[in-house]
Amino acid sequence: MTPTIALSGIHKRFGANEVLKGVSLEAREGEVISIIGASGSGKSTLLRCIPLLETPEAGSIAIGGETVRMRSKGGRAAPADAHQVNRLRASLGFVFQNFNLWAHMTVLQNVIEAPVHVQKRPRAEAIAEAEALLEKVGLAEKRDAYPAQLSGGQQQRTAIARALAMRPRALLFDEPTSALDPELVGEVLRVIRDLAAEGRTMLIVTHEMAFAADVSTRAIFLHDGQIEEQGPPARIFNAPTSDRTRAFIARHLNR
Amino acid sequence: MDFDFLSDTMGKLLAGVPMTLELALISTTAGAVLAVLLAVARAAFVPAAWFVRGYVYVLRGTPLLLQIFLIYYGLGQFAWVRDTILWPFLRQPYWCAILALTINTAAYGAEIIRGGLQSVPAGAVEAGRAAGMPRLLLYRRIILPIAIRQALPAYGNEIITMVKATSLASIVTLMELSGIAYSIISETYRALEVFLCAGTIYLVITFVLTRAVAGVETWLNPHLRASRT
Amino acid sequence: MDLSAYFHLIGFNGGWGLQLVRAGLMTLAVSIAAFGFGLVCGTFGAWAKLSGGRAVRGAADFYTTVIRGIPDLLVIYLFYFGGSQVLTSLGHAFGAEGFFGLNGFMVGMLAVGIVSGAYQTEVLRAGYLAVPKGEIEAARAVGMGRMLMLRRIIVPRVLRFALPGMGNVWQQVLKESTLISVTGLVEIMRQIHIGAGSTRRPFEFYITGLLLYLLLTTVSGALFRLTETWSLRGERRGAG
Repeated sequence: MTPTIALSGIHKRFGANEVLKGVSLEAREGEVISIIGASGSGKSTLLRCIPLLETPEAGSIAIGGETVRMRSKGGRAAPADAHQVNRLRASLGFVFQNFNLWAHMTVLQNVIEAPVHVQKRPRAEAIAEAEALLEKVGLAEKRDAYPAQLSGGQQQRTAIARALAMRPRALLFDEPTSALDPELVGEVLRVIRDLAAEGRTMLIVTHEMAFAADVSTRAIFLHDGQIEEQGPPARIFNAPTSDRTRAFIARHLNR
Repeated sequence: MDFDFLSDTMGKLLAGVPMTLELALISTTAGAVLAVLLAVARAAFVPAAWFVRGYVYVLRGTPLLLQIFLIYYGLGQFAWVRDTILWPFLRQPYWCAILALTINTAAYGAEIIRGGLQSVPAGAVEAGRAAGMPRLLLYRRIILPIAIRQALPAYGNEIITMVKATSLASIVTLMELSGIAYSIISETYRALEVFLCAGTIYLVITFVLTRAVAGVETWLNPHLRASRT
Repeated sequence: MDLSAYFHLIGFNGGWGLQLVRAGLMTLAVSIAAFGFGLVCGTFGAWAKLSGGRAVRGAADFYTTVIRGIPDLLVIYLFYFGGSQVLTSLGHAFGAEGFFGLNGFMVGMLAVGIVSGAYQTEVLRAGYLAVPKGEIEAARAVGMGRMLMLRRIIVPRVLRFALPGMGNVWQQVLKESTLISVTGLVEIMRQIHIGAGSTRRPFEFYITGLLLYLLLTTVSGALFRLTETWSLRGERRGAG
């Protein structure tokens, strides 16, 4: 079976700083992969490479078996076909650390924006689906509110509904709870947990170790731009083979 | 006070209001479209950036009156200009004034919109890209709506400035509000009374415009108007 | 356009060079006078808005609202024609004969000054409000009197915050000074118009005018920025 997401040999540098040093990773349908690691280990960059929010210098990205075509533009790698990139992006749902809701649109407008204007689905259908999704994340009564009127937790749940509205083949979470006040983390994690239980394909970059151990089917520990260790969460969190992984887990589970 | 003279003057001046509003409306509308194009070209299209910077630098660094004169008196010097199909327009002070006002306000407007574009949160743009929006859609649905909302208060001031700037059209013989005021003053030498009347009319226009811009602002920004729940 | 013919036209050897330089100096002189007068108006306006009683504040609000809603050209007409209207009737009241009026320079200084004063009012007011209250409290705490505090603390601090806005007002004054040409004062705009008319080479003359104003706005803009940098000394951002 073709993997939903396949990354191979991803290299990414920012100036002199090489952030990713050849990372390969496959996510199969229904897998929930948590990506953990210290800040600066490259885990967010890796996630952002999948929908080409960052352009890797080397390596290949395939989504649903379709490889992103790249070309060299002035010595730098760039996507060869903007249409292909947009089409593939629209097949993924990305949830940002800072929610990144569109402040000039209501909750409902945020959710239907891409289905209507990118995927060109009928408006009525998009609204019906958006209402169901808002119900699911517990925000049905906030459909006409503006982002500025919501708490951080509500904003992030809106962002999750917005990602789901794309009918994505995979959901990508980039530290979804890092910008939240501690008392609001739970409501967002609960929504993500429900999604995992539905058998959705998900990649989650997170600092919530207990949550990662609990929700994921596989855990990946990234260190200094490379995969240090990966495997079932039970093993990674309880009996890691690498000293670095062990030290990292020990430091973070104690918090 | 001579109320007969005042009401007589008021009547004559009001006849000039339509032309004042016409000049302002046409040039601010055309200028705003040009301003958005210039600002977007500067932000999104590298080779155009230098042209836009030069345009803004020259137009904002020189007086409007001179720009009007250059177009009205200067262009006709060349035979080839007189041979173009534009000449029927460029020979008329009306169209010269509109052209000058338009290119002038576009330069100021482009800078205001540029400020608005810079204030668009990077996250909002990134969320659009992540949703697979092509560049044009991203501008149409996300970037410009946010930028224009941000730019609106400053743009409101620019519109007021333009209404006042239409008075310069009187120097190239147009009989709008200020042109009529000038002709009454030079016939009667009663500058104080005429100033009082003309000033009142301008103040009413600018007041109404200020309220209108504020209204549009509130209407476009329900997310700022509503209090946090 | 033939460049050598152009340089001859605007040059000093039988060209219009000398007149243009003289006109340029006149533009500078009337602009500086108007800017200075505007600074006086603006200082009073800001003071009135910040610390005046209700009536004084109302008058200042009226001043800035009216000026910002009325074309500058009308204000110039008011001073040019209205000035002579008032002076002539005053003269007749005192038994003098004939016609009295303000000259173009005075009209320009007063009209453009009063207009720019309305903008200066807002600039200076915002500048005052930007001064941290603690600094004024500290001055009071060390026992400074009102005048001393004004001279040593408030004025320097307000100027530092108001400088960018004052630079904008100056640019505006410089460009508005062209309107004074309607009084016949021979500044750049008027001189250019005369040259264009008498040589039948309007394009060259107006382009020359464009370049002259660009020169003035660019150089004075750079001077304002230099002053701004100087005024920011000691307020470091990051390293350096």
